[in-house]
Amino acid sequence: MRSRPPVRPPGAPRRSPWRGYVYVLPAFAVYFAFAVLPALHTAYLSLFEWDGVTLGEWVGLGNYQEILQDAVLRRSVFNALVLVVFFSFVPIVLGLAMTGLLARYRRPGMGAYRFLFMLPQVVPLVAVGVTWRWLYGDDGLVNQTFRAVGLDGVTRAWLGDFGAALIAVGLVGTWVLSGLCMMLFLSGVQKVDPSLYEAARIDGAGPVREFVSVTLPHLRGELAVAMTVTTVAALASFDIVYVTTNGGPGEQTTVPGLLVYRLAFSEGKVGLAAALAVVLGCLILGIVYLINRLSRSET
Amino acid sequence: MESTHRVRRRIAGAVCAVALVLPLTACDALTPGSAAAVPGPRSVPSSTAVPDDDITLRLQFADAPPMVDALIAAFEKDHPGISVEPQYKTFTDYVQNLKLTMTSDSAPDIAQYAVGMTDLAADGHILDLAPYREAYGWDESIPPVSLDQLTAGQNSEATGGRALFGVPAGLSMTGIYYNKELAERAGIDGPPRTLAEFEDQLAAAKEAGLTPLGVGGLDTGGLHLWAALLNQTMPTDDYWDWVNGTKGATLENKAGTTASELVVEWGRKGYYNESANGTAQLDSTAQFTKGDSVFLVNGNWAAGQLATAMGDNVGFFPMPGERADDPTVASGFSVAYAVSSRTEHPEAAGAFLDFLTSPEAGQIISDNGFLPPNPEAVAKPKGVLADVAEGHRRAVADDGITTFPDFAAPAMLDRLRSGVQKLIADRIEPADYLDSLQDEWEEHHAE
Repeated sequence: MRSRPPVRPPGAPRRSPWRGYVYVLPAFAVYFAFAVLPALHTAYLSLFEWDGVTLGEWVGLGNYQEILQDAVLRRSVFNALVLVVFFSFVPIVLGLAMTGLLARYRRPGMGAYRFLFMLPQVVPLVAVGVTWRWLYGDDGLVNQTFRAVGLDGVTRAWLGDFGAALIAVGLVGTWVLSGLCMMLFLSGVQKVDPSLYEAARIDGAGPVREFVSVTLPHLRGELAVAMTVTTVAALASFDIVYVTTNGGPGEQTTVPGLLVYRLAFSEGKVGLAAALAVVLGCLILGIVYLINRLSRSET
Repeated sequence: MESTHRVRRRIAGAVCAVALVLPLTACDALTPGSAAAVPGPRSVPSSTAVPDDDITLRLQFADAPPMVDALIAAFEKDHPGISVEPQYKTFTDYVQNLKLTMTSDSAPDIAQYAVGMTDLAADGHILDLAPYREAYGWDESIPPVSLDQLTAGQNSEATGGRALFGVPAGLSMTGIYYNKELAERAGIDGPPRTLAEFEDQLAAAKEAGLTPLGVGGLDTGGLHLWAALLNQTMPTDDYWDWVNGTKGATLENKAGTTASELVVEWGRKGYYNESANGTAQLDSTAQFTKGDSVFLVNGNWAAGQLATAMGDNVGFFPMPGERADDPTVASGFSVAYAVSSRTEHPEAAGAFLDFLTSPEAGQIISDNGFLPPNPEAVAKPKGVLADVAEGHRRAVADDGITTFPDFAAPAMLDRLRSGVQKLIADRIEPADYLDSLQDEWEEHHAE
């Protein structure tokens, strides 16, 4: 504890170190009851073999052992990591590129652009999934486009193809999250002091140089946020996969979120589902921590 | 002031200590779930008399709300003392909550039979209806094979015979639809009599430049195809043993391998729609109505839709056997209803179930697109619906209605779906596929 201020006004009550906590208590109680406690409960359940109804059986770390040994579960974690590329890296690169194009000059109709790019964020993910399932279908727009330009050989049912399904699902994520990234970066750019751009231009910097030397360094905070949000979206993905492929074909697009749901609700393996959820949660927390560390140490 | 501070600190310390110790001491109480015994009897009384008081039955279900409403209305007219209160849930919702619902004190009196019921039956949460089977004479009004699907693999303590945990309202079965016009173009003159003949027809369709067989493998179409083939290669009793979890049952034999190899071989020969694994059942059906394939794997539930869209241009046959004189065997199930062990009115529930076997109910069931349990009692259907009814009649006569393979274990549906997708894409050896199913089977039936 820091040393107290040496002088206090006469008559003023001495401030108890507990008082601050009292103010925080209501918020903390709500947070504890609805976020911390369920998480702890999940971790606790992961130590049981439990079907959700009858008496559970204590198995200790047995469920975690099973996760490490089960090929399907391991495959699902691998798939989630592949999705990070499509949900996180590609949208951030695209978002940066669009920011570079849009931020330099104020153009009329910026609001309309922003609205359009933000649109995927507004649509419920289940609707997004259903729409893309049609687009990727046999006679869907994607195949129609390929046929129209004479690439008949490329067409296939994208979501049913062992090679293409995961990429196809990933690109849906790219579509959803690119707009979000761009919005974040655009708002970040607006904080940049215009005189910096002026100075750069006077020094003869071209658009690329200007972007790399002025825009990018100022976007570090936004980059960290974008990376965190999109990486979590990739690792915890469920809705898009559930609606488009339900994990198929084979286990090509099976992700941990889908397995947690299946194990808990249709297969009656609540303990194993909880264990997988805990592993997934730790993985996400670890990666988010890493992202935050990296973005901080650079400043 | 110093002293109050110390007191506060002491209280805080005590709270912390309690918080730390509590989980350790309370471990037993915190074990999830309950081992509480099921109240009341495990089977219905053998008398069919219904008391005169005003009785309200709660019926929870997930399929065909219009049919259920019509059935209830007709039943209440016959039994003024009993009212039935329907509680509809979407299928996914229903299945997910089934165990919780049926083990809670507020369980409905009557509930639709679904995959989890086997476990509930084993734990005594739903009533054994075997005494009613005899008292009401259900064997006369329902094909016994349809009742035998609802035994949950158990024997009845009350009658000593097979147990019964549900009564079917509408029946279902899978098979092959064909587009008559396209079939003619490929030189196919009618439903095949053997599996080999069906393969020749598929080859002829391929030869004619058509897509032979439409499969909606994204969800359940692939497993219907595989199960239909397995029904032909595997003795029906062995299949039942496997689905019911009888000790020693296995798919890792010649029958399982042959069926799985056929799925792979047809894929290699290009018999399926190119994107079978990316097409849902509903979509494959829609494509079939547009003439995208000569044949289609689906169930009787699609017949109404196909009849509307294609009129006389569509026909149906159950998957033919290896020899022409083999029995007709097809997978199917029923929209059936079970009775909770917690009900206070087993007699009234029995009266409702018995009503389902009446000609009046049969007509309502048939009108709503299901196969009625007692086909003689209803008006004769036309077109493809007649084909379906005829196929079902043959399968019932041969004791050849088997249940769906995913009833073997809760996780089996996912194993089957992804496994057959791999077979279709030639991505897995039949032996490895069967091994993965058997692993799941052994895990579930180990207890």
